[in-house]
Amino acid sequence: MITVLDLSKRFGRTTAVDHLSFQVNPGTVTGFLGPNGSGKSTTMRCMLGLDRPDTGGASFGNRAYCQLSSPLHEVGALLDAGYVHPGRSGRNHLRWLAASNGLSRSRVDEVLDLVGLESVAGRRVKTYSLGMRQRLGLAGVLLGDPHTVVLDEPANGLDPEGIRWIRDVLVHLASQGRTVLVSSHLLSEMAQMANDLVVIGQGRLIEQCTVAQFVDRHADRWVRVASPGVDVLAGAAIAQGATASRIDATTAELRGITAVEVGELAARNGIVLHELSPQTGSLEDAFLEATAAAQEFAAQPLRGPL
Amino acid sequence: MINTIRSEWIKLRTVRMNLVLFIIAVSFPVIVCVLVASLGDITDLHVSDVAGLVVGSSVITALLLGVVGAVSISAEFAYGTIRPTFAATPRRGRVLVAKAVVIALFAFVAETLVVVICYLLSSAIATSRGASLSLDSDVQARSALIGIVVFAIIVSLLGLGIGMVIRNTPAAVAVLILWPLVAENIIRVVLSAAGVDRPARFLPYTSGFGLGATDVSAHEGLGRIAGGVYFGAATLAVAIIGTIITSRRDA
Repeated sequence: MITVLDLSKRFGRTTAVDHLSFQVNPGTVTGFLGPNGSGKSTTMRCMLGLDRPDTGGASFGNRAYCQLSSPLHEVGALLDAGYVHPGRSGRNHLRWLAASNGLSRSRVDEVLDLVGLESVAGRRVKTYSLGMRQRLGLAGVLLGDPHTVVLDEPANGLDPEGIRWIRDVLVHLASQGRTVLVSSHLLSEMAQMANDLVVIGQGRLIEQCTVAQFVDRHADRWVRVASPGVDVLAGAAIAQGATASRIDATTAELRGITAVEVGELAARNGIVLHELSPQTGSLEDAFLEATAAAQEFAAQPLRGPL
Repeated sequence: MINTIRSEWIKLRTVRMNLVLFIIAVSFPVIVCVLVASLGDITDLHVSDVAGLVVGSSVITALLLGVVGAVSISAEFAYGTIRPTFAATPRRGRVLVAKAVVIALFAFVAETLVVVICYLLSSAIATSRGASLSLDSDVQARSALIGIVVFAIIVSLLGLGIGMVIRNTPAAVAVLILWPLVAENIIRVVLSAAGVDRPARFLPYTSGFGLGATDVSAHEGLGRIAGGVYFGAATLAVAIIGTIITSRRDA
């Protein structure tokens, strides 16, 4: 279990993390979400003792990271796949990492095999693609077979096959009872792999809950209805306080009314229904809605010629 | 600690640039010594002259080992590998001590190799040309050959210390090289102008050169042992500042 308590970090006059507290439980993948510049990476660096927090801190099973004698056996962390010497081979990168925690060379070969890099392990890292570097980084995470995994944007640069692979790996690790904290801006991926969410904005906790609860609270909900009498039905719904938006000649989206109520309205008015389905916005919609006030750099929608 | 030292040793030996620097550091003085011993005038050649040749030509080795020391830490900041390093070994002091041990041993081996090869080759070539040399008869020459090895170890650690403080590879290497070549000469001129007697004794690098002096009485520094201790103390001060900075700053 990871516990972050009252964590704050300032860089000059900028507050990157502001009294942040949350908990990451074992056995699930916990997604760490926030807009760019919201303090996710700074939080992770503080958790690992790389940045010195101004207040608070993090503990891994009641111990601060700095108190772990062989951290790779307990916490596997990947902050940036670019943190490798380009002139060193992938195998040698893992060897120095393994040696620092008393892990064997054979374990290095095992994890290289696990991430599918054994055939290129002797090549210098500067010849690796970004995806290969991510795999190398994940091999470093798995070296000590840790019970806690902390990853910052692990899917960055991976192709669809690689993204699915890393998702499967993380879900598998969580299913073994490990604690998995992963930040990602790929919200569709997060929706597929995370059970719990920690959402932050401007360094502060916005929400900690399950993915379903988060979507439930923040995502848009509406009823999609298709009928030859859609105009009559929409009028009846509006009369009950709903809002309607027309999609095409026979289809409309109704908000402020449930699917059950629309069905009953249709029955009362003798309207034939071709489709009646409750709709919920995606995690991305929920995320954008929840963090709208915490966006550091909000772009304007493009209209007309550039 | 042993694990950290092993890890740092793997880092040092798995970067090609360190191998290239090692080859240059060893081969350059050997080539110079062979050429001078083969082509130079051997009339009235003493063992102190051979020792002086070995010491003089192997100063470049010491400086290159200093570069290895500086790059061993500055490259970690440049490529970001300092973060996985400190994540794998959160006790930063342990990492820095391990680096110092590995760099010092590397410098010891490289400089000893240079001194032994250069002396044996130079004296063999000079003897084959008719010179008569015996190291047993000259304590100062013997001390100078040992002293230059100690000097190289200190320079390599100075490089590491400067790398810790400055973190930027070109800047760290520039300071390491320009300190003896430019900075100390400027300070010497300023001190002389201010009327300071024997200003060289205040200059750590210049005093450190006393370790390799074949005639200590002619050297302008503090002498062999005192000069070495002074240079070592200055290096230790830089290393302590570097350790404090590295331990307190964000990685």
